Parts: sequence; C-alpha cells; structure tokens
Amino acid sequence: MTLTTLLIVAAALIGIGIYGTLSQQSFVMLMMGLELIVNGAMLAAVSFWALSAAGAPEGQLLTIVAMAVMAIEMAMGFALVVAVFRAKQADTTEALDGLKH
Amino acid sequence: MSAVDITFFINAAVAIFAGWRVFVTDSMVRASFFLLISFLAVGVIMLLLAAVYLGVALFFMMAVEMMVMALFMVMFMMNPAGLNPMKMVHQEKVAIGVGVVVFAALSAVAVFGEFPSRPVPEGLQPVVSLGHELLGKSMLVFESAGVTLLATMIAVVMLTSHRGRYGDANHGSQPPGLEPGGDPADKPEETEEGGHHHHHHHHH
Amino acid sequence: MTITLLLASVGTVLLALLVGVYCVTAVDRAVAARITGEPRSPLLLAPLHTAARLWHAPHNETETPDRSAWRLAPVLYLVLAAMGLALVPWSRDFVPVDLTTGIVFWGAIEPLATVLIFLKGWASNAHFPLLGGYRYVSLGLSYILVSMFVLIGVALPAESLQVSAVVEAQSELWNVVRQPLGLPLFLIVGLGVSFWGPLNFVDAEDLHGGAASEEAGRVQLLWGLGRAAMLFAFSAIAASAFLGGWHGPWLPGPVWLMVKTLAVVWMLVALGHYVPRVSPERFLTIAWVILLPLAFLDLAWAGVEALL
Repeated sequence: MTLTTLLIVAAALIGIGIYGTLSQQSFVMLMMGLELIVNGAMLAAVSFWALSAAGAPEGQLLTIVAMAVMAIEMAMGFALVVAVFRAKQADTTEALDGLKH
Repeated sequence: MSAVDITFFINAAVAIFAGWRVFVTDSMVRASFFLLISFLAVGVIMLLLAAVYLGVALFFMMAVEMMVMALFMVMFMMNPAGLNPMKMVHQEKVAIGVGVVVFAALSAVAVFGEFPSRPVPEGLQPVVSLGHELLGKSMLVFESAGVTLLATMIAVVMLTSHRGRYGDANHGSQPPGLEPGGDPADKPEETEEGGHHHHHHHHH
Repeated sequence: MTITLLLASVGTVLLALLVGVYCVTAVDRAVAARITGEPRSPLLLAPLHTAARLWHAPHNETETPDRSAWRLAPVLYLVLAAMGLALVPWSRDFVPVDLTTGIVFWGAIEPLATVLIFLKGWASNAHFPLLGGYRYVSLGLSYILVSMFVLIGVALPAESLQVSAVVEAQSELWNVVRQPLGLPLFLIVGLGVSFWGPLNFVDAEDLHGGAASEEAGRVQLLWGLGRAAMLFAFSAIAASAFLGGWHGPWLPGPVWLMVKTLAVVWMLVALGHYVPRVSPERFLTIAWVILLPLAFLDLAWAGVEALL
C-alpha cells in the first residue's frame, strides 16, 4: 500500500465515475457517476493526508467537506429530479432538450 | 506482503470492480448497492490509512445515501429489478474515451509525480486532531458546510413541495412529446381538487 | 500472544452470539408464556426444535427473485450483529475490537442493517415483501437520527468515541442516571434495528406476514437467528452505553455485562409483547415530532452536564 497504488485506485474510481456521468441517460445513474468521482477524490485526499502530509488535520477536514458536498449533491439532485419529473414526466437527460417547457 | 497490503489490494479490487458494475448491471437497485459496496471498500482502505473517523463516517453516510438512492431508483426507473437487459447510454464511446484518458492522466501524475514521503507520525490521534481542527482553526469552514446543508434542505423542500404560495408546482407544465415536436405524451389529468380550486377562484 | 488474543476475541464473540440468540429466544418464549398463562416447562428445548425443523425445510421459490441478495442478506445481517457485539468490552482489559470510533461504528451498523432489511423485502420479488421492505426503510430513516443523537450524548461525558472509554466513564455514575432520556429512546431504536414487536413493520401481520410471507427453510431460520443476534448485540451495546457495562461489585466484569445485557433483552422483549403495534405513518409522526426533539433534549442535557 504505497501512495502510488492508492492514487491509481483513486484515479480508476474517478475514471469510471466520469464514464458514468458522461454516458448515462437517466438522472439517477448520472448522479451515481458523480458520487463515484467524489469517492475517488476522497480516497486521494485521505491518501495524501496519511502518507504525504504528515497527518496535517486539514487533510481530514478536506474529506469532511467532500462528504458535505456529496450530501448536498444528492439532496439537490433528487429534488431537481422530482421537480423535473413533475413538470415534464421526464427521467432522462434526452427529454430536457429545451430551455423552456 | 503484510496483512495490511493484502487487505488493501482486496478492497481496492472490490472498490473498482463494484464501481464498474454500477454502470453495467441491469438492475437499478443492484446498481445503487454496488455503489455502496464500492464506498464501503474505500472506507476500509481509509481505516487502513488510520483515518478512523472518516472511514466509519463513510460507512454510515453511504448506507443512508444509497438506501435513498435505491428508493428513488424504484420510483423513477422502468426496470428497477433488472428483469430485462437494459442499457440506457448516450455518446458511450466518447464517455469511455474520456474516462480512460482521465484515468491515464491521473495515474501518470501518481506514477511520475514526486510527492514528499511524510507518513502520519507515531503518536498522532487522528480523531482528536480532526476534532480540534473542526472546532478550532477551521470552525468557519465547518460551520459554513453546516449552513450550506441547511440552505440545501430549505431549497430541497421548496423544489419538491407540490404547492407553493401561488398554486400547483406543475401548473402549466407540459410533458415532452413522444417524437420531437409531437403532442405531449401522457399529460397528467387535472386533479379534482385543482379544478375545483380554479373554479372558485374565477367566481370571487 | 496476539494470535491467542485474536482467537480469544473471535471465540468470545461467537460464543456470546450463540448463547445470546438462545437466551433471546428463551426469554421471548418465557414472556409469551407468562402473558398467555400456558405452562413453560417443555419450552427449554423448543428453540432448538424450531431451528432444526427450519434447517430441513425446503426453500421457497418465487418468480425471478434476486437470488444472491435473498441468500446473502440474512448472512450479512448476522455478520453485522457479530461486528456490533465485537465492540463491547467484557472487562477493563478484554475488548475484542477496541476501535477508537466504536460508537460511530455502531452508528454505521444501524443504517447498514436497514439496507439489508430492505433487501429482505426486495429480493423475493413479491408484493407483500416489497411493501414490508419499503415501510421498514421509512421507519429506519427516522430512528437512525434518534440513535445518533443519543449515542453522541453518551460519548460526551466520556470525551471519547471509544466504547471502552464510555464504559470507563461510568465507574462513578451510570449514564442511565446521568442522562435519563437516553436509555428509553435507545430502547426504541433497538426494537427498530432488530424489527421487533411494535416496530416490526417488515414482517408485519397486517401485511400478511410482509417480507416473511415468502420465506421458508434456511432463509427463514437465518433471519430468525439474525434478528435475535441483533437484539442481543444491541442489548450488549445498550448495557455498555447506559448501564455501566462490566462495572459492578463482587462479581467479575463479564458476568455483570451478561446480567445487564440480559436485563436489557428482557426489557426489549417485554416491550415487544406489551406495547401495541402502531401504524407506520403514525410511528413516523411520533418519531419526527416527539422522539427526535426528545433526542435533541437528551443531547443538550448531556452537553450542559458535561460543561458543569
């Protein structure tokens, strides 16, 4: 378990997350891609904190902030999905090709 | 190879495999639980890295989040159980390309970059240090996150509530057509209550 | 040395789990017998008879179930119970897993159990189980918050998230006296996490058995074991968090822990039999409007007490 291997794992998670975010049509699946990106970012942050920053407390703080970001992303995402579905009966990105109605 | 290394490699493999399965499994519910497995494996790696609080916090955060995710899946998806094969993707080749490029670029940084090797000192208590940071020097950051979460809650309630001060949330909305430019598909019927309300409004 | 300690820890947890499951079943039958007034003498072996019958019963098959989830969920639920029990200190020196964030880890076990109970309802691909699973999730999301606040309140006087430190901090005064609201609120959480008695929304009678209506054989047996194990692990955590854990005069620590745990088990089982079932929507209102503010109050109380 070296910094390099940890960062490669984080990079793989971020790469898969980006694939999901770009390729998925359904909103909820798209959000899963975003979550996976944040997952990789958190792993990288904790790896740097543990192996390269001599345990500086800001490293852990960064991860806490990332968790808050993830919670906000989820909550706002679901709220928007519900609002859009109510307005347009749409649950895929393709259905939202106009800016108004 | 030490036990820590073996645990790390197993969990890294599980995290990546489960992360990949999220986007190929047919069942939406399974997809959200695969994502949960990926997060749990990352949490275990964090525990190995001595981030004792963060790893465990990831467990409970993600368990709740993915539970909610699964519920939404069932509500919005046509194929939550994965009984039919399903692939709902667009621009897949581009997406794969970008994913691979990002992975390669970030891995190149990991392999060729030079990072100082300063591991966590022996006597450091990660939880104590995190607590002092959160409620000490970085309290402003921490409290801002809290206030932002509160603002999110208010915004979410506003966005999702059926009715606002001036009427129904979906008043005047149009579902998209089945083909581009076609008639609105499956327009929701005016509810009894809504019509009644309008009637009254005109009379007064 | 470390190997011996490891084996001792694993052995203790597994043995305690086995004994605990039997005790929960026996106490449950004893309380039921007391209520109905039927004789209880031939009952001592009855849990084992039931287990043997279920072990040999055939498995139920529904149309296109989620097979891996159906079989895995009860096993993982049992594993979660074992992980929870491993956090409990048996004496000053013997704690199977002395995690510095043990309290938070128990807080993580509860939502993970909720996920598995959702899968219990989901996996069989049938109506009543799915309804049961859904109802349970809405319950779970409401009781987890209560549990978190109560547990933070317990950690405050100990100034630590370690379960052993929480027990150590109760050598003078037990938390059940120090924070009188904590234990009652936490007991409700216990009924929820092991879906017991009035909070058994997943296997409820009004849903034709809910998730259990499609279960048979070993899956049913494993869920029965898992529920009892979770109730026991929860009781051990509650005994450590509120009743002083292994602290007590004359007797050695493990005996005191066992006595207190069984006392909590008895309380939970009795609550399960005596408290009437509420409808899920009514419970949601109770959870958010009454229990959650009470949990806030408990936490504020603990904070003020820690400052004084």
